Amino acid sequence: MEASRSDEPNQNPNIDRTSNPNPLSPIISSAHVWPTIDGPLGLTEEASVDYARRFYKFGFALLPWLWAVNCFYFWPVLRHSRAFPQIRNYVVRSAIGFSVFTALLLSWALTFSIGGEQLFGPVWDKLVMYNVADRLGLSGLA
Amino acid sequence: MDRTEQRARSILDTLGEELIGILTPVSICMFTVVLLVCLLNSDPSSPSSASFSSIATAAYSESDSDSPWAKLLGAFLNSLVFVAAITLATFLLVLLFYLRCLNFLKLYMAFSAFVVLANLGGEILILLIDRFRFPIDSVTFLILLFNFSVVGVFAVFMSRFSILITQGYLVVIGVLVAYFFTMLPEWTTWVLLVALAVYDLAAVLLPVGPLRLLVEMAISRDEDIPALVYEARPVIRNHHDSRLVQRRVWREQRPSNSSDDVENNEVVTVVRAEEEVSVSVPLIERSRAEESSETFLEGIGLGSSGAIKLGLGDFIFYSVLVGRAAMYDLMTVYACYLAIIAGLGVTLMLLSVYQKALPALPVSILLGVVFYFLARLFLEVFVVQCSSNLVMF
Repeated sequence: MEASRSDEPNQNPNIDRTSNPNPLSPIISSAHVWPTIDGPLGLTEEASVDYARRFYKFGFALLPWLWAVNCFYFWPVLRHSRAFPQIRNYVVRSAIGFSVFTALLLSWALTFSIGGEQLFGPVWDKLVMYNVADRLGLSGLA
Repeated sequence: MDRTEQRARSILDTLGEELIGILTPVSICMFTVVLLVCLLNSDPSSPSSASFSSIATAAYSESDSDSPWAKLLGAFLNSLVFVAAITLATFLLVLLFYLRCLNFLKLYMAFSAFVVLANLGGEILILLIDRFRFPIDSVTFLILLFNFSVVGVFAVFMSRFSILITQGYLVVIGVLVAYFFTMLPEWTTWVLLVALAVYDLAAVLLPVGPLRLLVEMAISRDEDIPALVYEARPVIRNHHDSRLVQRRVWREQRPSNSSDDVENNEVVTVVRAEEEVSVSVPLIERSRAEESSETFLEGIGLGSSGAIKLGLGDFIFYSVLVGRAAMYDLMTVYACYLAIIAGLGVTLMLLSVYQKALPALPVSILLGVVFYFLARLFLEVFVVQCSSNLVMF
């Protein structure tokens, strides 16, 4: 489906509308809220439900960043809490998933980096990234 | 008369916004590459990285002991091999597009984006971690890298995705590939840039050029070319509008009454998105001979909503030029940056005049190379003299 954009004649008296015989009645009011952050350049509501659901499901494959992107993309859904109930369902669950995963990951990473050798012992040296890279020969590029 | 006045007014209104929309990502890409070069190449006088081999050094690998003539000859051979490889790859792309293997191309594009993000991105992150001794553990690193790459593939592969994130990932891909290209030997880099500028000119403007064939095929079939292209956010002229704007890559030339709005409301003619698909860039990772090619685009065109499109190959080679300039001194970086931006401005002006697909490399690269050598040979001496005599610093 391709929708064309056109100006409403009464709002742009200066522009010469000689060529467009397509009078659009403003079906949607100008206060229409778009579900995506891109506004009129983004998705329609029906497609949004599909997208939100797919992103939510894919995020379970250890992809919290996808959940975060989901929340970012459908930010208007979170802001206007009464519109788009179906999308909101998935987006809120994505947000919760992202926060939980980030909390877990952050706690592990901070424990690792702050605890250091005192907490972990010799295992720390085996797990830290620059040693792993050295062992596998990945860091000798430049 | 009235119309022309209105047309002039509406172009001026939105020209700044559209220009900024394309200049910002180019600048960000160049800045990031310069930053990476400055951070990671702490020893500029070391011999050219013998550990980096790719198809661009297949014919000749430079070493410091060769005479300038030998280096120049070697650089020519390297560039010849590289441009030949790219031409072949582009013709292959044209053939596949002609045979309508679009699914295969899209899958290939997704796969190459994944390889670039995971492989090259991982390498650069490891280099950064190594440089700063950041105490991150491998589990966290792997999870973050995996997330980053997979979402990047989604951003590039899916047609409707957040504009900002897609643009961000395209810039990141450009930065990663450009950084690896700056590791080529010095003479090879400069000769290669000039050779690619000439190739771009030929491939887009000659009637037998592969990019022109691709563009014409895509227009005649009204289809998308599956390739990596940066599209600036279309400037929405009318904020009262509440209809959905369909962003399509290709658009036939249609009578004005049914097409999208562009700058001129009266005659919406050629809102053709013309892109040139080119540069299949094979990169061979050090000793591992895995070849990954990407379908980048080179060239500049107009999107179906009037937004400017710039191929990712252009991002990459602009950044390579500036990155290589950064390896000498920051003064050359400033000179080359200004030259490239000026060249891009000229190209955009030509685009608005000619309204067809244009190669974005030649003007900028040639200006950039000229300014690099001028700055290196003449400006530096001048500035050093001024500074040491406290005239200007």
